[in-house]
Amino acid sequence: MSTDFDVIVVGGGHNGLTAAAWLAKAGRKVLVLERRDKLGGAASTEELIPGFRFNTGAPDAGLLLPRIIQELDLHKHGLDFVDSPVAAFAPQPDGSAVTLWRDAERSAFEIATFSASDARAFLAFQKQNERFAEVIASLAQLRPFAISNNSIRLMTAWARFALGVRRLGRRDMMEFLRVLPLSAYHYLNEHFESDALKGLLASFSTTGLMQGPRASGTAFMFLYQQMGGANGGYRSSLVPRGGVGQLSSALAHAAQGFGAQVRTGAPVQSILVASGSVHGVRLSTGEEISAKSVLSSVDPRTTFLGLLGAPQLEPRISCRLRSLKLRGSTATVHLALNGVPDFPAATDPQLLTGTIVICPSLDYAERAFDDAKHGRVSTHPVLEARIPSLLDPGYAPAGKHTMSMIVRYAPYRLREGDWESRRERLADLAVETLAQHAPGFLSLILDRKVITPLDYEREYGLAEGGELHGQMGLDQMLLMRPVPGFIGYHSPIAGLYICGAGAHPGGGVTGAPGLNAARQANAELR
Amino acid sequence: MADRYDAIVIGGGHNGLVNAAYLARAGLRVLLLEQRHILGGATVSEEIYPGFKFSVFSYVVSLLRPEIIRDLQLSRHGLTILPLESTLTPLPNGDHIYRGPDPHETFRNISRFSTRDAEAYREYGHAMYQMAKAVKYILGIRPPDPTSFHPREWLALLKLGRHFLGLGEENLYTLVKLMTMSSADFLEEWFETDPLIATLSASGIIGTFLGPRSPGSAYVLLHHYMGEIDGVFRAWGFQKGGTGGVAEAIASSARELGVELRTNARVAKLLSRNGRATGVVLENGDELHATTVISSLDPKLTFLKLADPSDLPDDLVNAVRNFDTYGSSGKVNLALDAAPDLACLPGDGAHLRGAISISPSVDYIETAYDDAKYGKFSRRPYIDAIIPSMIDPDMAPPGKHVMSCFVQYAPYKLAEGDWESQREAFGDAVVDSLSQYIPNLKKIILHRQVLSPWDMEQQIGLTGGNIFQGELSLSQLFFLRPAPGYAQYRTPIRGYYQCGSATHPGGGITGAPGRLAALEILKDLRK
Repeated sequence: MSTDFDVIVVGGGHNGLTAAAWLAKAGRKVLVLERRDKLGGAASTEELIPGFRFNTGAPDAGLLLPRIIQELDLHKHGLDFVDSPVAAFAPQPDGSAVTLWRDAERSAFEIATFSASDARAFLAFQKQNERFAEVIASLAQLRPFAISNNSIRLMTAWARFALGVRRLGRRDMMEFLRVLPLSAYHYLNEHFESDALKGLLASFSTTGLMQGPRASGTAFMFLYQQMGGANGGYRSSLVPRGGVGQLSSALAHAAQGFGAQVRTGAPVQSILVASGSVHGVRLSTGEEISAKSVLSSVDPRTTFLGLLGAPQLEPRISCRLRSLKLRGSTATVHLALNGVPDFPAATDPQLLTGTIVICPSLDYAERAFDDAKHGRVSTHPVLEARIPSLLDPGYAPAGKHTMSMIVRYAPYRLREGDWESRRERLADLAVETLAQHAPGFLSLILDRKVITPLDYEREYGLAEGGELHGQMGLDQMLLMRPVPGFIGYHSPIAGLYICGAGAHPGGGVTGAPGLNAARQANAELR
Repeated sequence: MADRYDAIVIGGGHNGLVNAAYLARAGLRVLLLEQRHILGGATVSEEIYPGFKFSVFSYVVSLLRPEIIRDLQLSRHGLTILPLESTLTPLPNGDHIYRGPDPHETFRNISRFSTRDAEAYREYGHAMYQMAKAVKYILGIRPPDPTSFHPREWLALLKLGRHFLGLGEENLYTLVKLMTMSSADFLEEWFETDPLIATLSASGIIGTFLGPRSPGSAYVLLHHYMGEIDGVFRAWGFQKGGTGGVAEAIASSARELGVELRTNARVAKLLSRNGRATGVVLENGDELHATTVISSLDPKLTFLKLADPSDLPDDLVNAVRNFDTYGSSGKVNLALDAAPDLACLPGDGAHLRGAISISPSVDYIETAYDDAKYGKFSRRPYIDAIIPSMIDPDMAPPGKHVMSCFVQYAPYKLAEGDWESQREAFGDAVVDSLSQYIPNLKKIILHRQVLSPWDMEQQIGLTGGNIFQGELSLSQLFFLRPAPGYAQYRTPIRGYYQCGSATHPGGGITGAPGRLAALEILKDLRK
């Protein structure tokens, strides 16, 4: 039977576009359908305030797999990165500050000013993390195996991976296996004494998680966030020139260059199935488009319970999708600033060009989580703020600046009140918390926009505002991701694949799920 | 002139005793040394208050391996497990959830809250039974070393893999969930009644520094379901005469097998000559010689105190330093003038012969955990209380009773003050929390014994006061317990072995570490 397309990709986020570009390059006839009138999904740069542009979701693209840039020629399509020698700057309550530099030696030198033993531990610790992060990066590019009857090819790939882990050497291999299920709290306490350093390093160990640093598995997230390679011990955080959205447009250009069609403002209403196999989609306009296979980069719950519909699934599968832990816990606050905030602790203005982190200790982060655990917004939030306009003028009018703040924790489900009433309160908490380290900060704020987990659900289509499309605890990984019964990027419906963060390896701007799903779909395309 | 033995076992806890018994059973001349005046370690009964017998530390039995009961003929030596069949969860609103031996009654009780849960409860029990059976195999094997290229290890891994695949896909998923999830998340996939979820999830926090919503607690939940009494899985029981009776039974069996048991004999140091254990020296200076020395103590004592760290590789020393033994549990033992009277179920009744669980909601326990995270004991703690004298009248004078309260959380280190000064305040918090449900409690207390993790460290030498000799976290289980590369009961010092709860398969009165260690030792001796 003839179809309009070989492949339809639902959702024009970075994973959907990666899959589309890769399949188009492989010679497939591809159509991308994005619900919003702009591409990028949670990896977008948008003019929330007239004249001011913001990275509305992901603050950077540090985790992007290098091979995606190479294989899709993204540099040729306008992708290049703005670099800062500063990885992170963490002002402390006592007026001091910790800075991590891209150059680990320099970070160690910095650390030595407040703890000689931490400085000694730091370099070895960071080298070990780099080795482990490499293993995780290669894991991210593997398809998860099924419990039984896997292809020889897949098994050999995994055998090669196992050998890679083995090549770490006996000691490292054991340490790797020990650290994976560890908590960031224990991992950091095993190496360091300084609260300031531990707090700063812990700040990204719970990215997107509804967990505190004491939770088992946060050491894995800590390493996952360093997949992008050396970054002075801090999470990889390279920003595309012109904003994170530039990655999406580069991917879109690449896809179109390979002959894919990309439609925005085209919300898919349902995925069409006949006799257990997919044959296309229907748009909310009623238009039906047929295809041999459909890749959905939308979160699994929305894809299968919303677009596909539970009746198409075995009860136990739909039941599992219902109990899939999404648990959005992140809000962002975007500020138009009438100048550069003045941090007395920042002896050099350059220090503000990395990520500004407010997380003075492990307990601070844990307490911030305690609030969320009990359904409240953190009274003392963990903040990750960036002023991208410092290095890249495109964000704001001359002399003005933009700041985007990631605010943790912001539970999707509030025990009291709703997000309509809590939205501004959260923003106040965030800016006031930052202002304690930057006097006069409040007076610089020209305007602000807040994106709550509820907004991420409504506007960006992330169920429960879950940026990871499913919590990345050890219980929702590999063959458990997104839910048991889905193997790799397959779904129970023939020809229907997931290519978003809900699939292995998970969230973050990695492109890995898109790439892996595309390769699997391509191999199996009728 | 120094004595000479084939093997010397350090520590007279149940694992040390089991280990000694198995070695003697194989014909070795074995000496066991216990620092206290009494054998048993955490498995003791003591008459703390005249006429009242307390199971001072460990208070219920379930996990003791059946093969050990058979091999050491423990029943003949006085092991008598009385059933402990019910759990009562009193609720703040005066209501309660009662789960007893009669499934129909339990069904009716849970149905008052949710028929769906009442039905799920049966399936849940069956699922956990399946899981307990699935992991039973692991409790009986020495952890393989995944980094070794030795064919023996590969074979063991292969067998392990085949065992798991044999469970079938669905069971395997459930097992993975249990290994990784939080107990509350796991249970919420089964149930909707919060107090029921809270009470069941409490098994997931016992002895660990985790909350019911902390990932990893589901494993601890499973660990407490591995119990097996007379072939019945997840049956919990109470030893006649108190938990000490278990140690006494093993000791009596050991004695019969020829083990020399010496109390008030605290070991100061391991004796070794060029990388080989040669014996021990006691604190009184006596030197005792043996070609095999086994420590049932926790790894910090085994490696950093008894042995000389400079004789050990750095990676082991670091691993042991990082081994998490941070205690989280306290114990309050009460001598009572009369029977406790519950507000929700006044008067006598079957519920007094079972466990009384103060776990009204998951948030209640999580909040209790929040206190502990920042170095405070829980103002409103989770409590698992039983009244042994109701099951075994010999525990207390006629008409009087003993009550054993296991409490979380009590962090080993307090942010303010120390346990010397805070102990009684902690005891008050426990009694106050109980009194809310047992109105007559304060009036009938004759004597109160309060134990913090710090006290457990002082009295029975548990470093950090962790009742499992070390957290049962994924990073400290199986081939990682107690330290990567040293999980096979051997140490870098030839002839020096470990057999405590800090080795696979971990804590609880299982005896499994003691037995598995003995089997490894005998393997080496045969060579």
